[in-house]
Amino acid sequence: MSEEKFPINIWINEERYEKLRKAGLGDLCEEMLAGLKVLRVYADAVERDKILKVFPTAKFDSATTKSIELLPKAVKDKIFDKIVEKESVDIIADFLSTY
Amino acid sequence: MAEIGHGRKEIVERIMEPAAAREKIKGLARIPIRSQLANEVVGISYGFFSPLEGFMGSADVDSVCKNMTLKNGTVWSIPIVFDLDQAEIFSYGIDKGDTVVLTYGGNPMALFEIEEIFEYDKKAMATSVYGTDDPKHPGCARTYAYKEKFLGGKITLVSRPKINEPYTKYFIPPLEMRKVFKEKGWKRIVAHQTRNVPHTGHEWLMKGAWFQTYGELPIDKPLVGVLVNAIIGEKRKGDYIDEAIILTQDENRKSGYFGDHNHLTSLTFWDMRYAGPKEAIFHAILRTNLGLTHHMFGRDHAGVGTYYGPYDAHILLESVKDKLDITPVYSMNWLYCPHCGEITSEGLCNHKKEWQKFSGTVVRSIVLDGVKPPRLIYRPEVFDVMMESGEKYGFGSPFVTDNYLEKRIPVFEIPPIE
Repeated sequence: MSEEKFPINIWINEERYEKLRKAGLGDLCEEMLAGLKVLRVYADAVERDKILKVFPTAKFDSATTKSIELLPKAVKDKIFDKIVEKESVDIIADFLSTY
Repeated sequence: MAEIGHGRKEIVERIMEPAAAREKIKGLARIPIRSQLANEVVGISYGFFSPLEGFMGSADVDSVCKNMTLKNGTVWSIPIVFDLDQAEIFSYGIDKGDTVVLTYGGNPMALFEIEEIFEYDKKAMATSVYGTDDPKHPGCARTYAYKEKFLGGKITLVSRPKINEPYTKYFIPPLEMRKVFKEKGWKRIVAHQTRNVPHTGHEWLMKGAWFQTYGELPIDKPLVGVLVNAIIGEKRKGDYIDEAIILTQDENRKSGYFGDHNHLTSLTFWDMRYAGPKEAIFHAILRTNLGLTHHMFGRDHAGVGTYYGPYDAHILLESVKDKLDITPVYSMNWLYCPHCGEITSEGLCNHKKEWQKFSGTVVRSIVLDGVKPPRLIYRPEVFDVMMESGEKYGFGSPFVTDNYLEKRIPVFEIPPIE
């Protein structure tokens, strides 16, 4: 059985989309909720728990979406920048290694 | 004609006129109270908490904890208690049989006729109300923070609260609310409990409940209304600010997603206990007193974390529904289906693999990211009012910050007795 993964939704505003487009990464976006663009970065259970510990405002939406929400915008910006740098959404271990 | 509330008791406001109050408070000991107790004094005095006439004595507390009823058998789920330290009791020089003045913000608020001073096992209280003794549960934490003694006795308001803007028109106590319902000609009114800025999932919860409540009634004139009753009380960092909640809920009506003929926004002062099923019963009692006939209960009503099952509140309500004078309306989740291209109910749509569920938490996350959600998820007028509220009342944010907690305009104040 594959390990369960929990997404962090990086919602894409115009500024973020422009950065992705310039980096040729626009295709990494998915569309959710009536056309909202989102990058989904996945954490495993251990990484999820570390995120919730390191960033106390974050919340795991256990009831509805099983996603990690309410990370501060500055943290999401860092994750986003890491995605652009690595040209991949598989960056959460790398991101967490600095915490 | 008498207005009958929960427990089939007449709702009577316990409010003294200023001239009598001025005389009555002379020479009495004065005890300052915190905002939780001030909220509850308002709840008792105006009849939101009818048939309670004051803070509970030991027999009522014990019966609530053990039987989920008052000592007279009336269903009641959460103890309403007044706590003090022994040292404070000593320093104020108060004893059973005394009457004291409760003050809030330095001004006399209410008379408190102390009928009993007692202790109660706080762990037993927490376990019975919250189903856990975990100090991480916010309701348990509140219970453990109570001081060592409890004082029971009747409350009489001596100075009506001055409700500050923008809340003024949303404070509609039970007797006044019932008049409003009569003026509107509503035969059935369904309550929507909220602490949120509404996304379209909430909007459709209300619309779905309105349909459910309408039932067999004739449709030639509007006979059913939705009452949004926002709980206004203690805030936590990251919550929506109160001003944004109340103004955006009303914006749903102002922008035409509802209308005057079927929608009204109001508030109740209460510090949420997050008691899940027990809080659901308490909400049913509150809204019975406000004159409502129906009450919607969704998934994990008033819950927190993973302490309660998603439908525990429904199960508990079913067990006592014959003893309540309000009809529960159970709501399924609403979600976005890209195949349908609309918000739909999980009980209706069968494109299950395509469903995109969203929650208040997800929507808050979108807003935090600086993204404006699509109108199918968040009404643009609601979004704009939320952001304006953040600018005007929230020091730049629609979410509670340390700055907001420190400097916010109080929801109400107690003016001096003239």
